[in-house]
Amino acid sequence: MTARRIDADALLDLATEMLRAEVMPALPPERRYAGAMIANALEIARRALAEEVEAAEWALLDDLYEEGEGSTTQLARDIRAGTLPEGKARGLAAALRTLLIAELRVRNPRFLASRDVGG
Amino acid sequence: MTMAVASRPRTLDTANLDPLQRWLAGAIEADRVEIKSADLLSGGAVQENWRIDATIDGGPRAGTHAFVLRTDAVARLPMSLDRPREFACIKAAHGAGVLVAEPIAECGDRSVIGAPFTVQRLLSGTAQARRIARDPKLAAFGPALAREIGGQLARIHAIRPPNGALTFLPLPEPDAVGAAVAEMRSALDKASEARPALEYVLVWLLANKPASRATSLVHGDFRTGNYLVEDGRLTGILDWEFCHWGDPREDLGWFCARCWRFGNDALAAGGIAPRADLLDGYNAVSGAPIAEHELAFWEILGAARWATIALLQGQRFLTGGERSLELALTGLMPAEMEFDALEAIAAIEAGRPIP
Repeated sequence: MTARRIDADALLDLATEMLRAEVMPALPPERRYAGAMIANALEIARRALAEEVEAAEWALLDDLYEEGEGSTTQLARDIRAGTLPEGKARGLAAALRTLLIAELRVRNPRFLASRDVGG
Repeated sequence: MTMAVASRPRTLDTANLDPLQRWLAGAIEADRVEIKSADLLSGGAVQENWRIDATIDGGPRAGTHAFVLRTDAVARLPMSLDRPREFACIKAAHGAGVLVAEPIAECGDRSVIGAPFTVQRLLSGTAQARRIARDPKLAAFGPALAREIGGQLARIHAIRPPNGALTFLPLPEPDAVGAAVAEMRSALDKASEARPALEYVLVWLLANKPASRATSLVHGDFRTGNYLVEDGRLTGILDWEFCHWGDPREDLGWFCARCWRFGNDALAAGGIAPRADLLDGYNAVSGAPIAEHELAFWEILGAARWATIALLQGQRFLTGGERSLELALTGLMPAEMEFDALEAIAAIEAGRPIP
């Protein structure tokens, strides 16, 4: 779970950086406070979203592995090698789909709507 | 691409077109070439595309012409051909009767404009996928356009090895699908993010490999966005830098993959028509007809390929030091292609047609 990835966290980090470096200096003084609030909101959202995707991952991993023992890296390795824990391969596709939906809720909700998956 | 076109130094010096005029006159056996205007076209982040309007005196091309001059890309994507090799593929396609901007001349001498370049006839039309997909007249012209495109693809695939002009293209591995999966796995191994769903799709691809077909010239990026349309008619096929020898169904699957439908999800053939129209056009020209059910595997392979490429783009943002929002957003896309691939696999396993 520690692998570096582009997630909501990385995007909001970059958006906040651009807001602070490129947008806020160009704002007239009476708009600076609004800019600061947006930056603050992005940072709060960043924390909340990161937790939501991680929770979905843990739900999947805890179903496949001993509580707290799994990782997406381990899961990827087990799928490739065909070494998933006994009896866990059957519902795998559906579980992966659920994980992708959790990811896509953050990454691209419009994509899910286009695939008739409700929010 | 987010790189500003203006940020790169230009090679062609519009204030001194004399060397180009003289070189071009020699290359096309003209007495004299006069360039009336040279304008940088947009959309070339990694290469320059110039529109050249010229008057030609004498020789087989006497008259007024519009050409496109392209320089080689400064930062090619992995697997892509350099300009001279791409040009050789375009020439082979042109010779086989494929609708492509007529190849006119190529120059490897840097002293002419400062970089190697090629010259092709300028084609009219738009390649913008969303403009084509959202054209209010699409319902009227889409099926015929898809048949036309299918016929062109069959002409490309009629080019088979050995081909004396294309000896630089390596012949495919006997197990081409196995090699493609191995390549994607090695890309996944380099990524800092594990993608279990993509791993699942790759296992499925290996387990469901179809019998191979005769090796053909494969365009490699044959999709809406890479052909030109004018008034609902095909005017040319673009972007030949991913040409290789391979299974002809790879191009058809890539064209129909769900990620290349630009909002027209129900029109599987590139967002312009049902698959049947594309295949009708293809099979009317090809001596090796392809059935619709064969495409599913290759559409899933296409989804996996694009997921892998998007993942690699994201790595450039994460570890390559390229702080580009566009690369970051592309790096978020694998989940979409993985989702589509899982949906298609589930449909196949349930005996339903894939979306």
